[in-house]
Amino acid sequence: MIWLTWRQHRKQALYTLAGLLALAALIVPTGLSMRGTYADKGLRACLDGLRDGNLSPEASNTCMRALDAFNDQYGTLTFAGVLLLVLPLLVGLFWGAPLVARETEQGTHRLVWTQGISRRRWALVKVAAVGGFTLAVAVVYGLGTSWWMAPLMHAGQLSRFESGLFDMQGIAPIGYTLFAVALGVFAGTVWHKVLPAMGVALAGFAVLRIALTVLLRPRLMPPKVRTYLVEGNTGERGNLTGDWVLAKQVRNPDGSIVASNTEVSCPPGVTGPGGKACGADLGLQAGAYNWQQYQPGDRFWLFQSIEAGVFVALAILLFYLAIRRVRRIA
Amino acid sequence: MIEFVLDGRSKVNTYVQLVQQVKQALRVGMLTPGDQLPKVRDVARSLAINPNTVLKAYRELELEGLVEGRPGVGTFVKATLASAPMSDQAELRGDLVAWVHRARDAGLTPDDVTALVQTTIRASYPRQEEHA
Amino acid sequence: MEYVLETDQLGKRYGGRWAVRDCTLRLPAGRVAALVGPNGAGKSTLLHMAVGLLRPDAGAVRVLGRAPYGDTELLSDIGFVAQDTPLYRDFTAAELVTMGGKLNRRWDAALARTRLAQLGLPPDRPVGKLSGGQRAQVALALALAKRPSLLLLDEPVASLDPLARREFLQALMGSVAETGATVLLSSHILADLERTCDYVVVLSASQVRLAGPTDELATSHRQLIGPRHDGGPIGGVAAVVRASHTDRQSTLLVRTDGPITDPMWTVREPSLEDTILAYLTEGDTRASHSEWGVAA
Repeated sequence: MIWLTWRQHRKQALYTLAGLLALAALIVPTGLSMRGTYADKGLRACLDGLRDGNLSPEASNTCMRALDAFNDQYGTLTFAGVLLLVLPLLVGLFWGAPLVARETEQGTHRLVWTQGISRRRWALVKVAAVGGFTLAVAVVYGLGTSWWMAPLMHAGQLSRFESGLFDMQGIAPIGYTLFAVALGVFAGTVWHKVLPAMGVALAGFAVLRIALTVLLRPRLMPPKVRTYLVEGNTGERGNLTGDWVLAKQVRNPDGSIVASNTEVSCPPGVTGPGGKACGADLGLQAGAYNWQQYQPGDRFWLFQSIEAGVFVALAILLFYLAIRRVRRIA
Repeated sequence: MIEFVLDGRSKVNTYVQLVQQVKQALRVGMLTPGDQLPKVRDVARSLAINPNTVLKAYRELELEGLVEGRPGVGTFVKATLASAPMSDQAELRGDLVAWVHRARDAGLTPDDVTALVQTTIRASYPRQEEHA
Repeated sequence: MEYVLETDQLGKRYGGRWAVRDCTLRLPAGRVAALVGPNGAGKSTLLHMAVGLLRPDAGAVRVLGRAPYGDTELLSDIGFVAQDTPLYRDFTAAELVTMGGKLNRRWDAALARTRLAQLGLPPDRPVGKLSGGQRAQVALALALAKRPSLLLLDEPVASLDPLARREFLQALMGSVAETGATVLLSSHILADLERTCDYVVVLSASQVRLAGPTDELATSHRQLIGPRHDGGPIGGVAAVVRASHTDRQSTLLVRTDGPITDPMWTVREPSLEDTILAYLTEGDTRASHSEWGVAA
């Protein structure tokens, strides 16, 4: 059975490994050069200084310029990350969906299931082999991407917690990948042709991922709230600490909301047009404050684990259902 | 060794065709005692027919005492089909020729003659009736 | 008598439709049986239940006395060639033989290789590049390498050209003679059956219409031609299978239980094909009448 699994999937495995190598050829050199630049320009110290607000104005300017230069050089690479967003789906479509559906489509299930091994054993070996292989692939690209994106995240002052960025690094992509494969396998036991199975897996994966990202992730743990005065504020805070800001508002001291989805800063000594108090033209009264609801950046790995866990659990459930269904296909 | 040939259009049962072919070969001296008949497997394969059909034919020949099966070796011809001596045949043929001439003179067509002969054979050889 | 395949009121339902219903069969050992019926009559469903791919919804099926569904051990005694002879098309014939060895406890790889060599099949070409006839031969060789007691073939020759069909049947008959395996092969092609099969099961509209040894069918059925006959018993006739009438004449295909002596009837012996067709037509019209809601 192991021989058969290897013989049937070796070409596919080879292509996958080739794809992984191609990805590595992109990630490793750019990642190394990014890290080199990052270290050479002392960007870490810069960012620490900016966050703590203890830099002199000149140092601050130098830092900002260095960061801009870095972002100009490498910022576009962030878009390459979109590829990593769809990788789990691709693996699921091409590894998961055909596993059973190709057999039933070509009728070979009637050949292999009438040999002297049970269908349960056939399904277990197949699922274990394919699940194990895709898991290994997912671990490699999930952690590889995290390593690669770290400098970009920091220098771009992006929170790795943001939707999209969260989804392409860490251990969550491992969960997504396993889930996509399991969904593909399961779809193949219900729809007995490869293309419909792929279509269903694609739709199911997209719907569930978006639903969980939009609806569940912000509520996984109660978000924190912070407030700080408009006056004396020097810049946005969340991004330097890697927080995931869910909502932001500007409020007057009486709690009334002046503006949503924005933040107002009035560095010391700055006045608004016509010499009025900073922000007065917006309707801000003295003592107005920024209000933010956020998930703290240090919850990143906790959230990663929860989300990976949820998807791995779903994957296990789907694998189980698929193996059960295999016994009923004729 | 003989090779069996089937007449695809014949209505005659396959095993009967095999039996008839062996008997024909015995009659004309193509098979003589001691000769081996083709193996069941080979006949089944070459004619694409059910081996049970071949077995049935060989069993029938065996029952008639014409061949004998030797387990693990094959089926061998045991006897020859003693047809009437040639002199007898010539005499009978003479009678038949005279009779056919009389029938023609009486106005019978060849079809009439054939029908008459067949009904007479059926009446005279009751065993044949079962196969017809 | 020893039965290799037995079914008792076997039924399988897809949704609300019975694909096979009330199927009771006894297939004696050593037979080469034809499972005959039009497309969609339930032949494949019956075979799939016999090889354990499907679980019956009603009744029972037993192969060598055991229920095949979920019985992996029993699978080694059943050789099966599915419709259109599915094979992994990128595997070579040699690899398929290896695969069989890995998946079966009893596996005669030498037998399979010898057979394929005799047929002159290339061992190192993907079977997807072979002709349909060659693929059918590979599938047969794989089924035979299990050294099965029961060989089930689902429409093995339906898609083959006449030459390939003959070669396939030659190979099949040769190996049956060698191994003595019991064979059940489904077909909607009636030609060839008279020579290759000694047992016939007629399946039509999901039910068994007729089952028995071909020589018994030959002796127990007669075609009668005579003046128009509107029912009423005929001496020696057990049942009228199919009747067609003109205003003067009736042509009947009947099952007999004795000699037909009534001189009114011209009695002929129908070919196996005629008899089978009579049973198939009977099933057809009965089904269509009930589907259209009119009396048959």
